[in-house]
Amino acid sequence: MAPTKEYQHPLIIRFTHWINFTALGVMVTSGLRIYNASPLWDFQFPSVLTLGGWLAGARMWHFFGMWLFVLNGLAWCGYNLLSKHGRKTTLFRGTDISGVLPMLQYYLRIRKAHPPSGKYNALQKLTYTTVSIFGVGAILTGMSLYWPVQFGWIASAFGGYDTARIWHFVFATSFVLFLGGHLIMVITAGWSNFVSMITGWKKKDVQEEVTRT
Amino acid sequence: MPVHLLSRRQLLKLSPVLLLAGCNSAPEGKTESFLRTFQGFNDWMQSKVFNPERLAAEYSDNELTTEERFRVNGKDAESPDIQVDNWAVTVEGLVDRPGSYPLKTILHLPKRVMNTRHCCVEGWSMIPKWGGTPLRGLLELAGVRPEARYIAVESADDYTTSYDMPSALHAQTLICYEAYGKPLTIEHGAPVRIVIPTKLGYKSAKWVRKIVVTNDKPGGYWEDQGYDWFAGI
Repeated sequence: MAPTKEYQHPLIIRFTHWINFTALGVMVTSGLRIYNASPLWDFQFPSVLTLGGWLAGARMWHFFGMWLFVLNGLAWCGYNLLSKHGRKTTLFRGTDISGVLPMLQYYLRIRKAHPPSGKYNALQKLTYTTVSIFGVGAILTGMSLYWPVQFGWIASAFGGYDTARIWHFVFATSFVLFLGGHLIMVITAGWSNFVSMITGWKKKDVQEEVTRT
Repeated sequence: MPVHLLSRRQLLKLSPVLLLAGCNSAPEGKTESFLRTFQGFNDWMQSKVFNPERLAAEYSDNELTTEERFRVNGKDAESPDIQVDNWAVTVEGLVDRPGSYPLKTILHLPKRVMNTRHCCVEGWSMIPKWGGTPLRGLLELAGVRPEARYIAVESADDYTTSYDMPSALHAQTLICYEAYGKPLTIEHGAPVRIVIPTKLGYKSAKWVRKIVVTNDKPGGYWEDQGYDWFAGI
């Protein structure tokens, strides 16, 4: 049988994926420069990891990047919440809970066979849904730091201005950790999987087909 | 035979890193003009989000930053050589009664004491106990014209900054002459400074000498170097 291809990612998912990658790159690196201006803890980040050159430059990048991140995030969340495809493939729901443990066992090599799953398995759905909620958290805490007077209630909800700053940093850290895990998964899943996030199409794997439902 | 340190594929894999090299410097050229234009858009957005009626939170006395930790920050490490005696603030521009307003006149205007958060652009903040009179009162005394749009402030150390009129007229925008119930010290801006809790700290100019009411949008010491002009918080 000739190798066939399978349509994996609709255009909006591919588009928002790479915009998000760019936006987060800008937000995290310029954010580190902003952090360095008044460190929360007893360390600063090496300036090679930062964007903007100085505080004003970093702020220019950060407050440009925030629009990319927010508008792109709205498009991604909108698609995944409003379309049947998005809700079915990406949104973690009650019915997915039972699938989390088997997937963990599979990744930890306790279980040999890949548990049956749709486009994304239960653990992926859980991760994507959680990191999206963290995205909302990053935006809300960001608003509370950008507008502590106009949106003082958001800062209060996060425990005050100084605590909101820590939360903002925690959410940013979660994105970096997510990227680390994501990269490991992408490398393990192989080239064809990576290409599908650009072209939309993935080489159909016969073996994989068996485990799918 | 040439020695290949990197294969083409390896180099391609490194390309994101090569792209990033150089981002660790201040924006220049087209990048800078794009970012500055975008910053102008954010300034406009901030002016729309700013609610002139909304007050910054005022804290109770036990939430104050202690006097020992009342932080000094400015463009220079050293305070300028200030002669507090016979201090006066010059008001000029779009006002009906331009002139020199002596400290004594300012001290007679209605007093406001407030414990508000001073948010530095660097990320730290503090809550001092400020005392002064709303800038609005002095502007009205000078007969500010209704069509005027901006206020420029000049300090004795040549520091400058400026505000949109709605922010300048905000009830908590003070000509401040006291901190913690005592006259301001020189390093905190004596004899008079601006305290504007609805904006970032660099808008709270010290050692205020001159106020210019104008319709030509003024800049400022930090604003001209790349910090946001509206700086609303």
